Amino acid sequence: MSQPKDDREQLGRAFVELADTLVDDYDVVDLLDRLVGHSVELLHADAAGIVLVDAHQQLRVLAASSEDAELMELMQLQNDEGPCLDCYRSVAQISVADLAEEKQRWPRFVEAVAQQGVFRAVHALPLRLRGQAIGALNLFSAQPGALPPAALALGQALADVATIGILQERAIRRAETLSEQLQTALNSRLVIEQAKGVIRQHSNLTMDSAFDRLRRYARARNLRLSQVARDIVEGRLDPNALTSALMRNNRT
Amino acid sequence: MIEPGPVTRALLETIGEVADDSHLAQRICTLCVTGLDIDGAAISLLIEGAEMATLWATDTTAELLEDLQFAMNEGPSIQAAAMGSPVLVSDLAEPSEASSWPMFADAVAERTSVRALFALPLQWGAITLGVLDLHRIQPGGLSKVQRRDVLAAADTASVLLLGLRTGHGDDRWLDPAMSHRAEIHQATGMVLAQLGVSATEALTRMRAYAFAEQRLLSEVARDVVSRQLQFSPEMS
Repeated sequence: MSQPKDDREQLGRAFVELADTLVDDYDVVDLLDRLVGHSVELLHADAAGIVLVDAHQQLRVLAASSEDAELMELMQLQNDEGPCLDCYRSVAQISVADLAEEKQRWPRFVEAVAQQGVFRAVHALPLRLRGQAIGALNLFSAQPGALPPAALALGQALADVATIGILQERAIRRAETLSEQLQTALNSRLVIEQAKGVIRQHSNLTMDSAFDRLRRYARARNLRLSQVARDIVEGRLDPNALTSALMRNNRT
Repeated sequence: MIEPGPVTRALLETIGEVADDSHLAQRICTLCVTGLDIDGAAISLLIEGAEMATLWATDTTAELLEDLQFAMNEGPSIQAAAMGSPVLVSDLAEPSEASSWPMFADAVAERTSVRALFALPLQWGAITLGVLDLHRIQPGGLSKVQRRDVLAAADTASVLLLGLRTGHGDDRWLDPAMSHRAEIHQATGMVLAQLGVSATEALTRMRAYAFAEQRLLSEVARDVVSRQLQFSPEMS
């Protein structure tokens, strides 16, 4: 059971960190990554992910609380059916307290989740803009159960911050900017996947740890996550530098 | 599932029909002009990292727009390639729209009647192939539907061009719908580190292996990621 005081402190920290990120020259994928981390903590979920829609109208994962392939698969699957797809299409929150009861609604998705045997509850919150959705925030829980209204409201607020972060609020007026930002973020994600491969090869880490190294290095130096990723892939940054940086940080 | 727009659909039907990149560029540019509300198009490719060269242009204005940017080393295409971000300008006459490349904007106003410019990077993660440039005399943005279509078309065009670059005249190497799956990009990273080569070269080697072993590229990628397959410089 969480203490209300801890929750308030966490909320305060999350708010400060997100605000801090938004006023500087930030990287969209990094922002979404932080947001996903906060969502898990603040909403007491076991996993979370953010998907955005691309030019082919496909939902693509931009950030997730774990780089575990199985979690990715659960979000990716929802391009065909699932609470996330319904959420995106209807621009409405879709809350599933117990997936076991929704076999009729999304047979393939429910089956896949059951096969993995990890999650029982799923909540999808739209990233909304002027009556449409550009993606969704997915929350997963191992225990069945509804999210209380206060948590849903907080979750929606986090989703709204994600949308704003993607659009850099002052530019919301220009429809072109939305397309530009989405395309860039989506391609940045691919650069990050390429960088994960390079790091994994050099240090024999899991993809999750590889991403963690990348993220820590970028944040410690106040660098754009996607730029560090690009430097790794294009050979301007030695992957070994990520490791030694990590060790140095651990000693302080 | 929303249907692909006319340009993307026509481009998808092109798969397997073009033998080289300049034919492909011609096809892409022509489809854009007929399928969208624009007057001309050009594709420029990045060569040797930083320099760009025009592969195809539909008309002299399109060609001039490319040449001006290369000569001045500024402009929406240069910006798009450098930032990995589309640059969509609905009216060059608006001061806020052209603030990043004032010299180029002036030259365009002096020498042409072009008012709208749309520069789309042709890229695949960290691999930047070049830029697709569209222009129109009449100012105004692309409609939402056209914007979606052209972004999807640029995406598809990137996959096709990369296919030609990394294979043997074969652009049918990857289902564009699968081109965003993480595995293939992760595998690219692993192989480039294994061989000490560029991302493009790593992809070429994976494709060559897939072809020699009569396997799908996606399967090869999966094996690389799970460490069942490792590439070494000695492999032929």
